[in-house]
Amino acid sequence: MNTWAEMAKVQPRVSKMLLNSITKDRISHAYLFQGQRGTGKYELSKLFAKSIFCKFKQDGQACNECKDCHRIDSNNHPDVHQIIPDGQSIKKEQILHLQKEFTYTGLESNQKIYIIVDADKMTTNASNRLLKFLEEPSKLTTAMLLTENSQSILQTIRSRCQIMALQPLNPIHFEKKLQEQGIAMETSKILASLTNNISDAIEINTDEWFANARKIVVQLIEVLQAKPDEALLFINNQWMTHFKDRNQLHQGLQLLMLWFKDLIYHDVGNEQSIVFTSHLDEIVQSSLKWSRSHATQALYAIMEAKRKLDQNVHPTLVMEQLTLQIQR
Amino acid sequence: MKFVIQRDQLMESVQHVMKAISSRTAIPILTGLKIEAKETGIKLTGSDSDISIESFIPTEDNGIVNIEQIEAGSIIVQAKYFPDIIRKLPQKTVEIITDNHLNVTIRSGNAEFHLNGQDADEYPQLPQLHTDESFELPTDLLKDLIKQTVFAVSTVETRPILTGVNMKVEEGYLNFVATDSHRLASRRIPLESQTASITFPSVVVPGKSLTELNKILEEDQESVEVSVTENQILFRTKNLYFLSRLLDGKYPETSRLIPEQSKTIVYGQTKELLQSIDRASLLAKESKNNVVRLQTKENTVLEISSNSPEVGKVVDEVTADSIEGEDLKISFSAKYMMDALKAIENDHVKIEFTGAMRPFIIRPIDNDQILQLILPVRTY
Repeated sequence: MNTWAEMAKVQPRVSKMLLNSITKDRISHAYLFQGQRGTGKYELSKLFAKSIFCKFKQDGQACNECKDCHRIDSNNHPDVHQIIPDGQSIKKEQILHLQKEFTYTGLESNQKIYIIVDADKMTTNASNRLLKFLEEPSKLTTAMLLTENSQSILQTIRSRCQIMALQPLNPIHFEKKLQEQGIAMETSKILASLTNNISDAIEINTDEWFANARKIVVQLIEVLQAKPDEALLFINNQWMTHFKDRNQLHQGLQLLMLWFKDLIYHDVGNEQSIVFTSHLDEIVQSSLKWSRSHATQALYAIMEAKRKLDQNVHPTLVMEQLTLQIQR
Repeated sequence: MKFVIQRDQLMESVQHVMKAISSRTAIPILTGLKIEAKETGIKLTGSDSDISIESFIPTEDNGIVNIEQIEAGSIIVQAKYFPDIIRKLPQKTVEIITDNHLNVTIRSGNAEFHLNGQDADEYPQLPQLHTDESFELPTDLLKDLIKQTVFAVSTVETRPILTGVNMKVEEGYLNFVATDSHRLASRRIPLESQTASITFPSVVVPGKSLTELNKILEEDQESVEVSVTENQILFRTKNLYFLSRLLDGKYPETSRLIPEQSKTIVYGQTKELLQSIDRASLLAKESKNNVVRLQTKENTVLEISSNSPEVGKVVDEVTADSIEGEDLKISFSAKYMMDALKAIENDHVKIEFTGAMRPFIIRPIDNDQILQLILPVRTY
């Protein structure tokens, strides 16, 4: 996505707001772009950076031809600083580097831009260091914080940014595209909720691992209902051997979350939205055993488990705790 | 781009610019070295975004031809490999050719290297020189200015602006001031009449950059041209350009810190005083703040003592040239005092005290261009 026109197709409101702020020369000192994965946060930040730096822009549209535009695309622009989490979180050194940059003048001009990817991965310490800059911005500096979850960003930081909420992608549109690729309806629904990228989705679909993952999730539900005493055993023998690393576990939990969502959909009579259509019987079974409020509790527990995984808690412990919480 | 160049010449320039290149950098292109060929000569550039060094090799120097067969152009080569390649080439001359696909061919004798280059457009564009706002300084004088002030910059980042040296022109004088809020070092020099009228914004140059500049400048070079743009400062010798980014913000007003009157004035010999404080500090080093005490005695004697209960104590006496005014007992950091005394060029030094709780100033006896100010330490 290299032009505002293209961006407007995906994010009409936000692109219009940003474009107006450029043409009217009212650029804020800090933005918080929040939106789900695949909604174009990063593309948007690049586009915005180009529109600020490009010397040949017309009506706020960068030319994509000049040196500035090229260098922003290749991450070589000396006055555009990017902070990308180094592993699980944004490290102290990365913020120190940024702090040093705040105190220096720019290399080419005094216009400076900072893009912080996955800003929610900053530690509290790092966030507080950043806060100082957000409180006393210098005139020509613009910060862009990108996040999937604006709620996990420090309240004090959020209140100092102009928040740009990107609208979620339409999953039905994506599902249709997947179905055109010859993917079964149920699978396309699951894939749409896991990723927003077509090639990723097709890759996941052809992976045998993923087919097994689905089976194991359904099995876990059965075990939880029929033989709760064996749940922990199941986690150790089946679940942990299949979902080996952190990413796989996240996908597993995502599937588990879909199941409980289905449970609620069934409960409220929204049968169209159900994802695990081939397991409708099991869903009906589950809804007899688990109330709606219990399903909501379970969803909270799963989200908490995902958060803990990000914080480097031991995966087995996370899963054991989760199963105990769902049983309760 | 194409040229044939003397290997030694190229090597010397490469070594200069390599000083600016760091392997750990946020911007990938800065791990490279820029080569730019024009009819007039070859320019090499290296940068870590804080400082940038450009080295120019003229086509012809005093009738000696350095470079031949120039075709203009520019390219970025990887700084990790380029210097070693040039150093180990077999012949005296090197031929460097680039094609349209960013491939670099380095040829010397029978050895031929092919390197993958990067597009020179990706490299940061360094500001152009504005000659109308520049002035010249003798190299050794600039080195002195740096040496006498840069040690006093702050090393902690709590007030980032204090990690730099403040440079400004006032009433025909060029001022260098550095402080870490416990001590202050300043040096000023008169500007020559033709350059005295220049307008020169007050800028803050990072201490690190000046230390680096001091290493690069060679004593034998005649003069350095200094010019300031909006966000960078440029030091230029004949074929070497040194650019540094500036610190953003306002430097605190320091002139009011300097006391105008004094109650006690001590005239002494710089070297003797320095050695005595050095001796006293041997024991003081043990305790964290490195404090020594100075006390005036009769017959122009200064007693310098230090006491650290766990180790022991030391008492030393120095005869001053003369002491005027009230008797005095004062404590201060030995390190700050030694740094200050080392910066005084003269053999004789004048120290002005205004009581035990007030800052005191140290100057050479013959002029007031150098000024060192130290805050005392409160002891009981």
